[in-house]
Amino acid sequence: MQMLVPGPAVLLYVLIGVTIVLVATIVFRPSLTATHGGKRLAFMVYFLLPAVVASMGASEHMERSKQTQFCLSCHVMDPYGRSLHIDDPTYVPAAHFQNARIPREEACYTCHTDYVMYGSILAKLRGLRHVYVQYLGTVPKTIQLYNPYSNRECLHCHDGARSFEEGAVHSADPSILASIKSNQLSCLTSGCHENVHAVAHLSELKFWEPK
Amino acid sequence: MAALMERRLRISGVLIVLGLLVEALSLIRIHPLAFLAFMFVGGGLLVAGIAIYLYSLVSVTSPSESE
Repeated sequence: MQMLVPGPAVLLYVLIGVTIVLVATIVFRPSLTATHGGKRLAFMVYFLLPAVVASMGASEHMERSKQTQFCLSCHVMDPYGRSLHIDDPTYVPAAHFQNARIPREEACYTCHTDYVMYGSILAKLRGLRHVYVQYLGTVPKTIQLYNPYSNRECLHCHDGARSFEEGAVHSADPSILASIKSNQLSCLTSGCHENVHAVAHLSELKFWEPK
Repeated sequence: MAALMERRLRISGVLIVLGLLVEALSLIRIHPLAFLAFMFVGGGLLVAGIAIYLYSLVSVTSPSESE
């Protein structure tokens, strides 16, 4: 028999509902707080419960902001989402997405978060700027990365993998692997894995339709 | 004094309830604007409500203390 475990969002809704009912009770009958017990109740529902709800909600929103659906909710990102369905294995993002080498529901976040300390926080701060540009600013015609794509983001998964370490090209010369790992030889712009999102050429490409 | 305390509790409670409603609504959609509504609108109302409540605790003195 399978047990249904409520997700964090359901628990959050329940907690919000309970807090609203308790706060409303005190709003309509503030005389309840005249007693010692009432004062404790007021402290719990006016301070502790909202603080817990806010921190749980922030955590839930942070998790949701990693989702592919979240990134693609801005119109300007449509072509990038579509490029994940290019029917050609030489296109790196499409091959990773279609073969589930990265979690499909967190595709953008997995490859575009700087895997450094505070990389995730930096991504969120940049996200705020993106929202500003989307709704109040001017969206540039060509979207560019803030910094050249670092091999670090590829090596986060590929470093140590047999297919990467012993690959024919990677191991042809010991200096190649060292150059890749030190980010001197770019995985993308060195001419080896240069096919990425190709948003300018999408109309010329075939697309994979998931069954 | 009790009347002032009750009034502040009501204002604070209304702000907290509004903040919680905004936070609940923001969880319905996965969208950057929902995230901003949660952080700034819902969070702002909650912080204001909690601040008024805490202020009412320290500013309203009981009759025995005021004597």
